[in-house]
Amino acid sequence: MTGRRIGVVVCQCGGNISDYVDTEKVRETIEKDADVVSAQVQMFACSDAAQQDAIREIREKKLDGVVVCSCSPKLHTATFRAMAERAGLNPYQYTQVNIREQDSWAHTHDRGGATQKAIHLARAGVARTALSEPLEKIRVETLPAVVVVGGGVAGLRAALELSEMGISVHLVERAEELGGHVARWGNLFPNDKVGRELVHGLISAVRARENIAVYLGAELLEKSGRLGAFQVKLRTRSKETVELTVGSIVVATGFEPYAPQAGEFGYGLPGVVTLPEFKELLATGARPLAYQGRPVRSIAYVYCVGSRESPDRSGRTYCSRYCCSATSHIATVVNGLDPSVRQYHLFRDIRTYGRYEALYEKALRGGSVYLRYSEEDPPSVTSSDGQLVVKVKDRLLAGEEVELRPDLVVLVTGMTPRENSELTQALKLPVGKDGFFREVHVKLRPVETVMDGIFIVGAAQGPKNVAESVASALAGVSKAGALLMKGYVNLDPLVAAVDPNLCLWCEECLKACPYGAVRPVEAGDKQIAEVSSLLCKGEGACVPACPKQAISVRGYTNEQVTAMIDALAQEAA
Amino acid sequence: MTDAAPKADYDVLVVGAGIGGMESALTLGEMGFKVLVVEKEPSVGGRMILLSKVFPTLDCASCISTPKMAAVNNHPNVRTLVSSEVDRIVPRKDGGFDIELTRKPTFIDPAKCTGCALCEAACTVAVPDEFNYDLSARRAAHIAFPQAVPKKAVITRRGSSPCSFSCPAGVKPHGYISLVRAGKYDEAFRQHLEDAPLVGVLSRACYAPCEESCSRKELEGALPIRGIKRFMADRYYSTHAVPEYGPPREQNGKRVAIVGSGPGGLAAGFRLGQLGYAVTIFEAEPEPGGILRWGIPAYRLPKEVLARDVANVTALGVRIETGRKVSSIAALRDQGFDAVFLATGDRGGRKLQVPGEELSGVQDAVEYLHRINEGHPPDLAGKAVVVIGGGNVAIDSARSALRLGARSVKMFCLESRLEMPAHPWEIREAEEEGVVLTNSWGVGQVLGYDQRVFGVELVRCTSVFDEAHRFRPTFDLSVQETVPADVVITAIGLAPNTAAFAGEVALERNGTIKVDPETLATSAPGVFAGGDAVTGPSMIVTAIGQGKRAAFFIDRFLRGESTEGTRFDSRLPKVDPVQVAAEAHESASPRPPVPLRRRPAEERIGSFQTYEEAFTEDQARDSANRCLDCGVCSECRECVRACPADAIDLGMAARHEAVTVRSVALATGFSPFDAKAKPALGFGRFANVINGPQMDRILAPTRPYNAVVRPSDGKAPSNVAFVLCVGSRDEQVGNRLCSRVCCMYSMKQAQLLMGSLPLADVTIYYIDIRAFGKGYEEFYQQTKGMSVYFQKGRVSRIEETDGHDLLVHFEDVEGGGGHKVARHDLVVLSTGLLPNQGAFGLFPSGTLERDAASYVHEVDEELEPGATSLEGVFAIGAATAVRDIPDTIVHAEAASAQIAAYLRRGGATA
Repeated sequence: MTGRRIGVVVCQCGGNISDYVDTEKVRETIEKDADVVSAQVQMFACSDAAQQDAIREIREKKLDGVVVCSCSPKLHTATFRAMAERAGLNPYQYTQVNIREQDSWAHTHDRGGATQKAIHLARAGVARTALSEPLEKIRVETLPAVVVVGGGVAGLRAALELSEMGISVHLVERAEELGGHVARWGNLFPNDKVGRELVHGLISAVRARENIAVYLGAELLEKSGRLGAFQVKLRTRSKETVELTVGSIVVATGFEPYAPQAGEFGYGLPGVVTLPEFKELLATGARPLAYQGRPVRSIAYVYCVGSRESPDRSGRTYCSRYCCSATSHIATVVNGLDPSVRQYHLFRDIRTYGRYEALYEKALRGGSVYLRYSEEDPPSVTSSDGQLVVKVKDRLLAGEEVELRPDLVVLVTGMTPRENSELTQALKLPVGKDGFFREVHVKLRPVETVMDGIFIVGAAQGPKNVAESVASALAGVSKAGALLMKGYVNLDPLVAAVDPNLCLWCEECLKACPYGAVRPVEAGDKQIAEVSSLLCKGEGACVPACPKQAISVRGYTNEQVTAMIDALAQEAA
Repeated sequence: MTDAAPKADYDVLVVGAGIGGMESALTLGEMGFKVLVVEKEPSVGGRMILLSKVFPTLDCASCISTPKMAAVNNHPNVRTLVSSEVDRIVPRKDGGFDIELTRKPTFIDPAKCTGCALCEAACTVAVPDEFNYDLSARRAAHIAFPQAVPKKAVITRRGSSPCSFSCPAGVKPHGYISLVRAGKYDEAFRQHLEDAPLVGVLSRACYAPCEESCSRKELEGALPIRGIKRFMADRYYSTHAVPEYGPPREQNGKRVAIVGSGPGGLAAGFRLGQLGYAVTIFEAEPEPGGILRWGIPAYRLPKEVLARDVANVTALGVRIETGRKVSSIAALRDQGFDAVFLATGDRGGRKLQVPGEELSGVQDAVEYLHRINEGHPPDLAGKAVVVIGGGNVAIDSARSALRLGARSVKMFCLESRLEMPAHPWEIREAEEEGVVLTNSWGVGQVLGYDQRVFGVELVRCTSVFDEAHRFRPTFDLSVQETVPADVVITAIGLAPNTAAFAGEVALERNGTIKVDPETLATSAPGVFAGGDAVTGPSMIVTAIGQGKRAAFFIDRFLRGESTEGTRFDSRLPKVDPVQVAAEAHESASPRPPVPLRRRPAEERIGSFQTYEEAFTEDQARDSANRCLDCGVCSECRECVRACPADAIDLGMAARHEAVTVRSVALATGFSPFDAKAKPALGFGRFANVINGPQMDRILAPTRPYNAVVRPSDGKAPSNVAFVLCVGSRDEQVGNRLCSRVCCMYSMKQAQLLMGSLPLADVTIYYIDIRAFGKGYEEFYQQTKGMSVYFQKGRVSRIEETDGHDLLVHFEDVEGGGGHKVARHDLVVLSTGLLPNQGAFGLFPSGTLERDAASYVHEVDEELEPGATSLEGVFAIGAATAVRDIPDTIVHAEAASAQIAAYLRRGGATA
């Protein structure tokens, strides 16, 4: 009994929770507990109406703490903190209790048990809230400057837009020139723009901007600091180190085309090329179509090379997205060069999504022949007397084997993640199973990362075509702009704090901290630890390391955690 | 943002608050720009909030949408208008835009509404719930869906229901019918009472123009509206011998005199009494009611029913002084009345103007009916009666004569049968009873002997009206006939009863009182007139309407308010009954009307008893159940009574606003493909063929059935088929493009379905599985791993079995080949997405370019996503091409970056 006035909301989440947890029972039970002066059930606690209800309750009952028992704090902590704030309650006296992912969804066949668990979890939340104190957000200034890593089409476009928005840009490119893959490509789908020209237009625009600095042959080595003021170290072409301070980092490092193994679908045989190689060949615009001096009268395209592989074979289980449309488009380009060239497409599914369907249709109308192979029974590419032989069991002909003797075999190779381990290390960016950078939420926050202020754009996040890479780049710009244009951001104050009376500066906390947030300071006649609230992430590694229990994380004090454990251990009513 | 920027109310207008519009609004708001969001629906959230879960993460769609919805509604830099539409966007010379927008009436004041949903519980009208894609019903008063933002109720009103629109008295049949349908009989009576106090009278004697206008007439027959009303009135009066109310508590001290206690006078007295006026009705006759009391025979309107209706008026404190003939308005003023309403109605006495008219035995119909109604009927026993005239009064006279024992009753009128002013049903009833009607005869002379009539000489009438449809009969004098008669009753027209006031108010040439048609004010200040004294002979409901109109303007006059520009009529435009019937024809099964039963003719002529039988409760409710709810809201006003916040405002009108903005973001989304455009697949015909959005609703946490069941019989399906590419990649329906999301949402639904029904078989009929996005291919493999069967081949048609299972005909492309048939118990058509072309009409003609597929054209898709042919106008998400949610979000963000840069540059480049 602390004399606190705490309100509890139990969310049904439509039926996500209430189908498996007796939410009314949770409410009834918790309502009788000490310190709880209000308990409500809501169908959707996050809905605006339920928030209005809660705000009214906070004001009318003069609540000094609120607990919402709903979903993962990852989803809605920010939602309900903002709600508390609107009601005039300190947002850090709000606690989210997860009775969905950690309860209803985990115990779908035990309604009684799930209900008991929900009551325990709710009580733990109340116990923590009862010991909560009002905390103030940490306001930090943000610098209107961004490092863009990667000078391909996405990086260039991002740099240009940031510059337009009044944000200065440091554009870092590992290669000796800007432009990336697109600089080597000719006509692009779907609008037949020429890759080279497109990129060169961007490069000259970037060069003309005063607030864009370009670093060629350079790499990002280190990053420290935090959102709004990252310290970044670059190594330039001349092996010098450049230090920059920027508000945000945009990673646009692109992809690597899949390089087939020797012998994979005949790769290595004369006349077997990859899609990018074929694109470069076409980009020369030479007629008639010839490869290594020999005229090309027929082409077989083998799709999904290096993509959609089975998980026991490689990590490339993903679809590379752009290749079907690109190949359909190339077939139309070839058709335009010489309509008599026969083209065979050996595919698994044709994925010309959305308006790219028109390309597929155009290729079909141009005489392209499509044969469907299965993953289990892929086509074979061999050579006999210098003549390429392709054998494929066509599923559309009830698995009948078809033999082709094309002049050229194009392996439609997908996109793979770039080898970027140093950068990944330096930025501490998470990477997905597919090897591409991983976003916070693939659906709703596709360019944001768990590192606040660092954005992943273009094909570095996953396979994309040019338009999609650019859109993604601009989305990253938008996110960076939303952080930097205001000039400041507010950070959570849930950071570690040191009790100067107990601390003896044994350095254990310094060793435990992965963020370099701890340093010693003089305090009267002794040295004690001090935590930078800007660098501290509040993750709490230092807390168990301290032998004197002199350090604790605000919002998760030792007393609060102990009280939560006690509440969990208590018999449920 | 910059000083050079043109001044405007907002930096950005975002049209549409789906996921793309919300994302853009929040990002731009976060950057510090002032954003106006306009959404046509009553809630933000667009289509995404209606989904169950989203692929490939299987996050709950509402869980991840609601934070954004709440944020958009609460962001300090974002103003969000729901139930609003942008009408026009006109570029300005300074680079900004003039915006005209309409805030549609929701009929509930959002500032007062607390979202308590009591109106929804009280509402008597159910309509298909568009937020559940018509799988279930919702009320006309409703909150869009449980997570709606803002959570405010709205009322759906398509217009005035034809029945309610047609009533000259402003009675709203749709309202009381919906209440009877709901079993709220007393409420039904009170709803009618609010509009007109003479409920019993109208339930017996109204000619019911509402029934003529009923949309159901276009199908199997109109609703028997008057019969339903009689049921409700009889039932109410049987339990309420006296009114439930007394005079209003607040009296305003002003006095109004009403001359005449017919329907017009009573209606005006009722309304003015409710408003707190001290009303005195002066009636020359010994009892109130005017023509209702003295004109209409008791078999059509029993006197006690009228008396009970009159009590509805007098209960308010309205005094009726009978036996008080008023012949001077000045005298009323002297008695201290502040305003006067003249409702003196008609008198009879139009003359045939033929020889013999003065003979004994020739009677005027009005006097004749008056005598019957005062209880001193003429002795007609055994007599031959001839009635001259073809209107209602003639019919009433003839039928009364039969009831008085006449040996024969013959009716002659100038008009042909079709031209007769009497209603066909009353002619039919008269003939059933034995009245012999002969058309197209005029009277040459009345024949008599010794001052007593013995016959009538008739002349053939060749035409009644001239070309301008004026009454100008012509005769062929060579064709004559004589009929014997002991009594001749002339019912050839009524004249206005206005002579007494000729010196005080201006009259028209025909003797009616001259009034302003809107306000009913006469030439004398403070004196109003209405009813038959103004309109000439008309219906009861017309007179009631006049009385109400007069009361409305007398009130304004006495409160010293101007009547300039004030309109009494607040009806919404009439809903087209043909349209309603056509729509109902698709969904409603035929239900012939329950006929009103009448006692046999031979029995009914034996007395002046009511001859029409009342509906039983079952018959009344069954009849009310046939109502098609044409205007959606029935105006039953149950919500008005239920709302604790007094937020309902059925008179709310659209409001127009004009604002200026510096840039525009079009986030108008897509249009879902209507599977009815593929009739061979049976959507709309077979209950168990549903579309993809419906399946998503069935699987959503706020699902309509609370379980995965098939619509026909509520059984859990055990063998479900998904048919991909319905409305996509299909030249037949004019959409060659791929809709991008259907493969994925179908696999998502298949996974969720197998989660709910682990034993169900699921087959997906596909052409290509397009799992192209991040995590999509893995999702496809996972779906395969759950034993969903993927059948390559296009579905050509679907048939239904007797048990509502479905036979799916498809081309087996990869197996044995050829045409095959498979049986399923639920089929989901994975319908595609089409462009929403609404945006083009907002701009000056042709300035917003469209692409080949009629999406908003992106002028530089590769480098400036979302940029359109108009500088400062950007299009987001599905407005420019079909997109899934992540791509829509990326696209919205990309457009936002460019909008920010555009605004930062100061708007348009010169």
